[in-house]
Amino acid sequence: MNTFADKIGLGWRANLAAGIFSHLDRIDLLEVIADDFFDAPRREIRALQTLAAQIPVVLHGVGMGLASTVPVETKRLEKIARLVEQVRPQFWSEHLAFVRGGGIEIGHLAAPPRTVDTVEGAAENLSRAAAVTGSKPVMENIATLIDPPGSTLSESAWISGILASSNCDLLLDLHNVYANGLNHGYDPNAFLRQIPRVRLRVIHIAGGKFISAPDGSQRLLDDHLHDVPDPVFSLLEEAAALSPNPLTVILERDGAYPSMDCLLAQIDLARRALSRGRARRMVAEEVLA
Amino acid sequence: MSARAFEAFLTRIYVDAAARARFKADPRAEAQAAGLSDEECAALENTDWIGLEMAARSLACKRKLNRKNHPRNSFSNTLENLFTTIFARFGGN
Repeated sequence: MNTFADKIGLGWRANLAAGIFSHLDRIDLLEVIADDFFDAPRREIRALQTLAAQIPVVLHGVGMGLASTVPVETKRLEKIARLVEQVRPQFWSEHLAFVRGGGIEIGHLAAPPRTVDTVEGAAENLSRAAAVTGSKPVMENIATLIDPPGSTLSESAWISGILASSNCDLLLDLHNVYANGLNHGYDPNAFLRQIPRVRLRVIHIAGGKFISAPDGSQRLLDDHLHDVPDPVFSLLEEAAALSPNPLTVILERDGAYPSMDCLLAQIDLARRALSRGRARRMVAEEVLA
Repeated sequence: MSARAFEAFLTRIYVDAAARARFKADPRAEAQAAGLSDEECAALENTDWIGLEMAARSLACKRKLNRKNHPRNSFSNTLENLFTTIFARFGGN
């Protein structure tokens, strides 16, 4: 039995609305992409507020580029601040990524060089984000097909440095850990033990596919278009065994939508993985007591 | 040279195929032309070339998808999907 008050939810997607509304008893919360509502008309915001009155909602930003030496744009912070005020989510989150440089938009999340400079830049951006919005975002690790050029820190040291200097909590995307581990040659389980477990509050689970590299090798692409693979559920069990905090787990799916039954089955698998991890943690705590 | 210039350089080679091709042909010259330091040029010479090509392709796909599907999850889209689901379930067109 899970006595840690963990919750499991789903990413809100228009295509999944019918299935979500039919199964609110099996979904603890919804994660809404904040950027979809930044410039939305009033009626859209009212609809989002109505949704948030039915089920707990969290907001997830994708376009700020906070892990960067480039200062975050004030207008973006003001937009998330307005949305947080309107929707009153349980928390809001963003990515440990950069999305623009030299006035050029990358158009998606990219991994910055993992250096002391980007640790300091992220800390400054997160401090500004907290000042403008009144709350700190929970920060998510990203998947990257390229080992970021110019990096001088390991991924776990870089993430730990940003969390420590910004006093932010961690949204750990386990498929990103799994993909980066495979693509860049590290052990995902060792990675879990290297990050500060007291900062771990939220977990993403998702799927991806292997794509061929020009040299014939393969890398794992985190595309959110496939079911959650077994190793990610194993990592979820491990994270639950390590974390002292209540965890919020969110299943992400961005397309190639399966039946709602299939998504609910993955939510059930996540609940079971959490329970196994929590049972291990309770045994370990009893041994130590 | 600042860390910000290094990020700007990375941005350019991620999104601009011509800049990426020039960089692959002569990494040091391209980095020097951008005003990066010797240390930064040396770091860029050790780029994960396969990863760079794969990441650039993936980012290009995401940009294309975002342009096509924005806004993705508005409630007007939700209503449209709900009606589609209802009609599919009850035999409508």
